[in-house]
Amino acid sequence: MNMIDGKFARRDVLKGTGALVIGFALAHCSPREQQTQVTVGQYGPPEDEIDSWISISQDGTATLYSGCCELGTGSSTGLLQVMAEELDIPFEKTQATGPDTNRTVDQFVSSGSRTIALHARPIRQAAAEARAALVEMASKRLNVPADRLVTDGGIVSVMGAPEKNISYGALVGNERFNLKVTGKVKPKDPSQYRIVGQPVKRIDTPGKVFGTFTYVHDVKIEGMLHGRVVRPPSHGASVIAIDESSVANMPGVVKVVREHDLVGVVCEREEQAVRAAEALKVTWSDWAGLPEMKDLYTTIRNTPEFPSGYADEKSRPMGVIAREGDVPAGLARAAKVVKTNYTTPYHHHGSIGPSCALADVRADGVTIWSGTQTPYGLREASAKFLGLPSQKVRLIRLEASGCYGQNGADDVVIDALVLSRAVGRPVRVQWMRGQENGWEAYKSARWFECQGGVDADGKIVAYETQTWGFSGYSRPEYHEPMHGGEPGSLVTAQLAGWEKPGLEEGFGGASNNFEPVYADIPNRFVKFTYLGPTSHRMGPLRMRVGSMRGVGSPDNIFVAESFIDELAVVAGADALEFRLRHKPTERMSAVFKAAASRANWQARPAFAKPTSGDIAKGRGIAALGGPRDTNVVGIFEVDVNRKTGAVHVTRAVVAQECGLIVNPALVTDQIEGGVIQNLSRGLFEEVMFDKSRVTTLDWSSYRIIRFPEIPDVLDVVLINRPDLPAMRVGEPASEVVWPALANAIYDAVGVRLRNMPFTPARVLEALAAQRQASL
Amino acid sequence: MAETKTLRVNGASIIVGPAEPDTPLLYVLRNDAGLQGPHFGCGLGQCGACTVHINGEAVRSCQRPLSAIGPSDDIVTLEGLGTADKPHALQTAFIEEQAVQCGYCTNGMIMQAAAFLSKNKSPSEAEIKTALANNLCRCAAHLRIVRAVSRASGQA
Repeated sequence: MNMIDGKFARRDVLKGTGALVIGFALAHCSPREQQTQVTVGQYGPPEDEIDSWISISQDGTATLYSGCCELGTGSSTGLLQVMAEELDIPFEKTQATGPDTNRTVDQFVSSGSRTIALHARPIRQAAAEARAALVEMASKRLNVPADRLVTDGGIVSVMGAPEKNISYGALVGNERFNLKVTGKVKPKDPSQYRIVGQPVKRIDTPGKVFGTFTYVHDVKIEGMLHGRVVRPPSHGASVIAIDESSVANMPGVVKVVREHDLVGVVCEREEQAVRAAEALKVTWSDWAGLPEMKDLYTTIRNTPEFPSGYADEKSRPMGVIAREGDVPAGLARAAKVVKTNYTTPYHHHGSIGPSCALADVRADGVTIWSGTQTPYGLREASAKFLGLPSQKVRLIRLEASGCYGQNGADDVVIDALVLSRAVGRPVRVQWMRGQENGWEAYKSARWFECQGGVDADGKIVAYETQTWGFSGYSRPEYHEPMHGGEPGSLVTAQLAGWEKPGLEEGFGGASNNFEPVYADIPNRFVKFTYLGPTSHRMGPLRMRVGSMRGVGSPDNIFVAESFIDELAVVAGADALEFRLRHKPTERMSAVFKAAASRANWQARPAFAKPTSGDIAKGRGIAALGGPRDTNVVGIFEVDVNRKTGAVHVTRAVVAQECGLIVNPALVTDQIEGGVIQNLSRGLFEEVMFDKSRVTTLDWSSYRIIRFPEIPDVLDVVLINRPDLPAMRVGEPASEVVWPALANAIYDAVGVRLRNMPFTPARVLEALAAQRQASL
Repeated sequence: MAETKTLRVNGASIIVGPAEPDTPLLYVLRNDAGLQGPHFGCGLGQCGACTVHINGEAVRSCQRPLSAIGPSDDIVTLEGLGTADKPHALQTAFIEEQAVQCGYCTNGMIMQAAAFLSKNKSPSEAEIKTALANNLCRCAAHLRIVRAVSRASGQA
């Protein structure tokens, strides 16, 4: 029993500002859960108190209060493994709850695959200290020195006399520890791990297969109404008039709501809201400010660089990433030179469930139920939007449909707040499919320019890659005093007339992994020309951009690892040997070797022995990794159908070293998911638009991968390094897919695909151009 | 005109509404019957997240109006397919194979596969992939879902 029933009581009383003591006695707590009192400051309970993280009930069940958001990756299971390990408690006697701004520590944003790598640390420490405290308590109760006591299975017993024991539940059940986390207790050495490292089954699976799991979409509270929003027909349109009589006679309509250009309807029943939103007659202004799709990349290339808000260029996360030696001088002495351009399109997150939120705006306080990844930042943005002190707002976070970055989960909260405030009752809002696709934040389209050269010995003597793109920082990600927590980052707040800017230059996630992983490349220049944050409502190119799985890294790796392949081709070298020649780190080399061995890689230049017939076979390799980050190598084997242009992955080998592995089954699961999702993005996906708006509003216009198109075999090789800290798992493996695919297609048919996606039409077009060139 | 109606859901008779005849079955199941298995994904019949069984057939409940459902129609949702105490072979297999990530599509995967397995007891991997071709998964648990359906075949 690890899942707490997700049904929440209406609300605890929220009064006043400053530190509050709130009884955490929600109806959703299982009977075993104790009712500890926690002190809640501006940003939740203090992180230096054991009681903020862990409570133990009388039957010995340990509850973890985590500020991390489960995004469908199983991270909450991993966190429970960490807690159970340090507490010496059976995994089956643990459960997780949160985040909830009234009960859980602020753990900022759950993103970047960092839950286990980063956010598990305070949990590990708190659990280690809780265990030490339990031993001390037992020492007093049993009258035995603490150093003669051992812990196992939630029981403290006397060394050599196991019949003398006392359970955790008897020691502390339903009581507070009342202890600070001192940092003085040393957590276990990884060599002692018994629960961490095991392929424990996920705690959320049973609820999800029996239909009893409560997503944010499922929350129902007394007196709740249903809302739907009406979005502008173009990104820049404004309301001219609303004809309320168009829905006046429709059943169940409670109110038509307008806040600037945020328009919605509130109804008694959900289907009534859907129908009324479809029927509501709104006159909108015309707007057609987007470029033609065919001009997208020249528009991006010609957009001026966003002025840096940083004191100097060096501290700016985006900009010049590497500058060594002299590229023109290197090119001048190269035996072979390659100059190419690449493009990557906008992508939808493609969450299967459109975003949903429930808000209850009352005079004495506000409660929000949300699927956000950033509970405290969104609470702060919501409070600012409503003009309330943030402690008047409580945000309860529940799992939503998988989001893979910033879908509409944050934005829909503003919709729910506006509608609830207008009717004085709790309102649930879910976006329709077209609204999710039309108004979420997209992965930025990108333009790349590359040039490089190799000398007569096949060594790279010059390497330059440059890119132009927008960046994804439109989450209310952190909060004051850092930055963020601004409603202005949300497109719904912009629609509602919020004018203070909230979009900021990001942390540089978009420029990650653009620098090659090979040390021995002299004369290198790598630059990300940052074009600023954009939204449908503002910016130089009004397509809203936000973070999506890996942010800009998959695009960067696509180009870096395709371009290195192009250099290997002109050097006449084997793709793997060429990479090793340019000296990746030792860690990276070990992963190259593991992947090559599993894939039985035989050295030969690419496209050296083209296969005849309609089906051409090819293989491609790609890698990514940093000195303190996960290292991945992918080797993809493909069939390219020369007649239809279809590309099918027959086998993919993915080798990964991510330091300490907390749960190998979950790591494998994340690799499989990331690889197949990015296969979908690489083969099929491209957000389309006309001059007014995005047009890929459903699953027929925006095609994602289907079962018959998945790889025949996906072979995951894990390299466990318990001597290294746990590193990121969800994103990295997905990022080798696009270049490995492009390199494999080249190997199969000798055409280099530099513009994603690699659709059958693109493949056929490239093959036709190849035939034309050979005439 | 809105009306109340008696439906047969998971073996029990339930009164729903009053609701308009064109109300998609999905909303009635979720909001009137209080079921959380079927999910709203697209409202267009394209993704499969809302799939339920009507008389043993896998049906997209977002596309089936209340008016098209008669008193003898037997509606089964994920909750009715099996429970923790008495699981359907597919539910057990999805747990064993850990074939769920966010789980929003899982309802449709299991309901579609259950209808399929009731007709094809021992399908090939290719047949399973074809049978599920119109059910979308974004977390990309596809490999595990195929393994789970394969594992459950012959037992369903």
